Amino acid sequence: MSPEENGAHLKPAKKSTPGAESHGLFPERRPEIIEVTPQVARRLTRRDFLTFGAGAIVALGVAASQVPSTTLQRLGLKFWPRNQWFLNKAQRFDDDVAELVYSPNRLVPTYRKSQVTPLKNNYNGATPDPGYIPGWHLTLDGLSSGLAASLDIRTLLERFQVHDQITRLVCVEGWSAISWWSGLKFEELLQAYPPASEAKWAFIESSVNLDPNGNPDPYYVSIDLATARHQQTLLATHYNGKPLSVEHGAPLRLIAPMKLGLKNIKAITRITYTKAEPKDYWAERGYSRYDGI
Amino acid sequence: MASTMQLNDAPGLAASSRPGVRLVRKHHLLVRVSHWLNVLLLGGLIVSGISIYWASPIYRHSPDPKTGNVDYLADVGVWLCAYVPGLHSYASPPDWLYNHFGLGPYMLAPALRLHWCCAYLFMLNGLVYLAGLWLGGEWRSVLPRASDSHGALFMAKYYLGAPFALLRRRRRVPPRFKSKYNPLQRLAYFSIPIAAFFSVVTGWAIHKPMQFSWLAALFGGFDRARVWHFLLMCLFIAFVVPHVILVFAAGWDTVRSMITGWSKRSEMGGQSNES
Repeated sequence: MSPEENGAHLKPAKKSTPGAESHGLFPERRPEIIEVTPQVARRLTRRDFLTFGAGAIVALGVAASQVPSTTLQRLGLKFWPRNQWFLNKAQRFDDDVAELVYSPNRLVPTYRKSQVTPLKNNYNGATPDPGYIPGWHLTLDGLSSGLAASLDIRTLLERFQVHDQITRLVCVEGWSAISWWSGLKFEELLQAYPPASEAKWAFIESSVNLDPNGNPDPYYVSIDLATARHQQTLLATHYNGKPLSVEHGAPLRLIAPMKLGLKNIKAITRITYTKAEPKDYWAERGYSRYDGI
Repeated sequence: MASTMQLNDAPGLAASSRPGVRLVRKHHLLVRVSHWLNVLLLGGLIVSGISIYWASPIYRHSPDPKTGNVDYLADVGVWLCAYVPGLHSYASPPDWLYNHFGLGPYMLAPALRLHWCCAYLFMLNGLVYLAGLWLGGEWRSVLPRASDSHGALFMAKYYLGAPFALLRRRRRVPPRFKSKYNPLQRLAYFSIPIAAFFSVVTGWAIHKPMQFSWLAALFGGFDRARVWHFLLMCLFIAFVVPHVILVFAAGWDTVRSMITGWSKRSEMGGQSNES
């Protein structure tokens, strides 16, 4: 099809018939027309094609350096240099934005029991053998007292008030579930066992986690104390009104609904308060370190 | 009157009576730059978005007894590899679609990073585009008009009939409109930026469903906002495919005008005298 045949949408009419077609509230302005010599037109075209072409080559080259190597291999670009600068910057920027939009006073939505949806066992790897539960205790470290504290589940349940909370757990994978949790407020544990004054982070570990083959694979997350102190951040002991099952992190797990599910560590065995940002299992594997939602 | 003034003021035109080329300004520089950046950014968003979708598909069925697969998009790959010649020996049919339209399976972490990277640039680029529309005055040309519904339908019919007319070697007189764009184009170029706005908003709703819980609620909650976000991507694909076909069908002048900014199709010589 030649341009002449199908150029309809580019051709303004030669004759105007007022009233036949509405022009809207903001009628189009007459386009600017210039008349140049063919040489000038060619020069302008060449200039713009070279500029845009160079821009496109640079942009495509940078873009290709950011995608995973397996994707590049499929495109036949086996030896293209890899550079994660833009992706890392974007991740850091996005984490900063997440921290900026977080408000310690903003409550996450809560739901009724009738709105509860099924929650799958999303243990990363194999589900631990419940044998660890009877001898379980929680170790607290980095406290202002300078001493480590060790608490078993009975002590925790006797000393702290148990709060009910029905919130949505959002997984980084994209699914979500509304669940009924009960447990003590992290904030109340922080008050009872205050961290060292310079502490800004909680490093929360589970020593009982397993990899998919059933070998020990300790899990750990970093939680900023601003999140830990949120009134909806629970150290949950109950799910659906019953003590946590091994699938959901018996006997104590974190429920921080303002973080992605992967921060909601199961079967917590140790909490260490630190000044510097601690490591994080999934951040080490390329995910966000803040995970605020 | 205006045309003679432009003739005299035209830069680069020799004082002699040599025939010149009439160039019509079509796209502001910012519109052109943001248009081409958008190709890359929207591409990056779709490719990474499909890999994010893989991690938790929206459209799923009960698990396949043999493979445990629940994902319809994986089924599409299985179907293609079973029936499309040349794909029979493909190593992992359920991954075919993800390998060809996404970063591949098990790519959630890089896909998320790429998605954030493109998403922030996409938002920025959207502002550049709006600035270009404003500075070039082009925003007036994309506003739908009261009489457009009829014209848009007419153009849709015209375009849909084009392949048949081509097959039957019948020459058709293209409809003419007294505007930069025809009504269907106005509808498309007006609604696509709005769709882009909504894809950004639904994106924020599923990215920060707790801090912006009101936003997620606006789209029916976190899970439904994901569906909207996905459907908006489908809308972009539904726009891009005919857009590219029609631009090339319209001719080189249209493609070039998005690079140089001007069109040679200037039959506006008499315009100043008549309007």
